Amino acid sequence: MIRMFHVDKIYPNRIVALKDINVHIKKGEFVFLVGPTGAGKSTFLKLIYRGTVPTKGQVIIDGINISRLKPKYVPYLRRNIGIVFQDFKLLYDRTVYENIAFGLKAIGATNFEIKEQVKKVLNLVGLEHKKKTKPHLLSGGEQQKLCIARAIANEPMILLTDEPTGNLDPDTSWEIMQLLFHINIRGTTIIMASHDKLMVDRAKKRVIRLDQGHIIEDNPRGIY
Amino acid sequence: MIFENIGFYLREALLSFKRNLLMYTASIMSVTVIFIIVGIFLIVSLNLDFLLKDLESQFEIVIYLKDNISSAELSNLKNDIASREGVKEVTYISKEEAFQRLLKNFEEYKDIFEVIEGNPLPASLEVKANDPGMIESIATEIGKMKGVEEVEYGKGFLEKWLNLTTFLHWGGIAITLLLILASILIISNIVKITVYARRNEIEIMSLMGATRWFIKWPFLIGGFLQGLIAAVIALVVLYEAYFVIVDQVRQSIPFLPLISDKMELLPVGLVIILVGCIVGFLGSMISVGKYISE
Repeated sequence: MIRMFHVDKIYPNRIVALKDINVHIKKGEFVFLVGPTGAGKSTFLKLIYRGTVPTKGQVIIDGINISRLKPKYVPYLRRNIGIVFQDFKLLYDRTVYENIAFGLKAIGATNFEIKEQVKKVLNLVGLEHKKKTKPHLLSGGEQQKLCIARAIANEPMILLTDEPTGNLDPDTSWEIMQLLFHINIRGTTIIMASHDKLMVDRAKKRVIRLDQGHIIEDNPRGIY
Repeated sequence: MIFENIGFYLREALLSFKRNLLMYTASIMSVTVIFIIVGIFLIVSLNLDFLLKDLESQFEIVIYLKDNISSAELSNLKNDIASREGVKEVTYISKEEAFQRLLKNFEEYKDIFEVIEGNPLPASLEVKANDPGMIESIATEIGKMKGVEEVEYGKGFLEKWLNLTTFLHWGGIAITLLLILASILIISNIVKITVYARRNEIEIMSLMGATRWFIKWPFLIGGFLQGLIAAVIALVVLYEAYFVIVDQVRQSIPFLPLISDKMELLPVGLVIILVGCIVGFLGSMISVGKYISE
C-alpha cells in the first residue's frame, strides 16, 4: 500500500527532515509514528498525501509514484487519503453537518450521497445528535471526532492522523483510539503520529520510531 | 464541471460576500467611482465626437472658377468632382449669387459696393467631403483641373484640427485604459484578502482532494459579481446625472449640440457592463492564481 525507497527530504533552508527512509506499510495496518519533536513525523505524513515531494528516493502509494504525479492528479490521490490534524482545521462558522458536507461537496459528491454519508459517519463517531451544532460549542474530544468523521466520510484507503490525542485527557484519548481501531478493523490503513506514550503502549501495534530524520526502530508490536 | 456545481459556487461566493460585507462594499464603491470616471470619459468623448462631426460637416473646399469657363466645361467639372471618392456634395455658386451673398453679409458697406463697376467676384463650386481627413487630397487633385482658377480649404487650420482630434481620441483611450487597470488592481487586492481570510477552507478543500478549479470558481464568481454590481451602480448614477446636466446645459447654451437620445448612450452602458464583468473576473483570476497554485 505505502512504500518508501531511500527517501530523503531536505527543505530549502537545508534542514534535513528525513534521511534514507525505507519502509513498507501494508493495507489494513495500524502504524504508530513516534519520536521527539522535529524527528520528521509530520514530513513523513506530508510525503504520503503529497503535501511535499521527496528530495531523493521514491514514495509509492498503491502503485503510484507520487513524485512523478502531475499536479492536476494530486486531488485524485488525496481523495483516497483522509487526514486528521491535531489543530482540527474545522470551519467554525459552519455546523457539524456542514463541516463534513463541505469536504464531500469539494470532491464532487451529489447531495443525496452527501446526506447519506454524513449521517453514516456521524453515527459512527457518535455525533448524530449534534449535527446542527457549531464546532466551538463541542468539547475537544468531540471536535476531534468531527475531524475523524470528516476524514473518513469519503471512505479513504488510508487515514493519516497527526497527534489526534495530543490535547485530550486520557479517557477521551482512549475513546478516540477505540474509534480509530474500529475504523482500522473495517480495512482502512492508519498511520498515527503520536507523543502519547500511554496510548502507544496500550495499543500494542506496529511502532516506527524516528529520530533526527532516521528510522531507528521498526517494531511490529512496539511500545513508546 | 462549472455548470454541475454552479449553485454551490454561487452560494459560496455569496456567503463570502455576507461574511466580508464591509470589505466588499468598500471594494465595490471604489470600483464604482472608477467606473463613473470611465463613464464620464466615454460620455464626454461621445459628445465631443458628436460636436466635432457637427463642426466638420461645415468644413468645405471652395473652388473658384475662371471667368471664361463654358457651361459644358462647368457641367463636366461638376460631374467629375461629384463622382470622386470622399465627396459628399457639390454646390454651384454663380457670379451673381456670390455678389448677392457679399451684399447681404456686408450690408453696412452697401455704398462702397455701389461704386464698384461690374461684378469682380468669380463663380465657384463648394465641395463638402465625407471625412475631413480627405479634404487635402481632394483639394490638391481639383486644383489641377481645367477651368479652375484657385482652390481654398483652410490649409493650416485643417491640419491643426486633425491633430487636435487625434490627440483627444488617443488621450481618452489611454486614460480609460489606465482607469480600467486601476480597477483590476483594486478588485484583485480585495480578492487577495478574501482568499487569505478563507485560507482554512481552501486548505481543507485542497487536502480533501478538491481540484484547483473547484476551489477557484467561487472566488472568480465573487470577483465577477463585484465588477458587475459596481458597473450597474455606476451606470445608474451616470444616466441619471447625465440627463439632468444636459437639461441644465441646454438652458444656458442652447446651440451646443449634445447627445440627448438614450439609445445613443447605450454603447457606454454596454462597454461599462462588459468592462465591469471582465475586470472583476480578471482581478480575481490574478490573485486566486497566485494563492491557489496547487
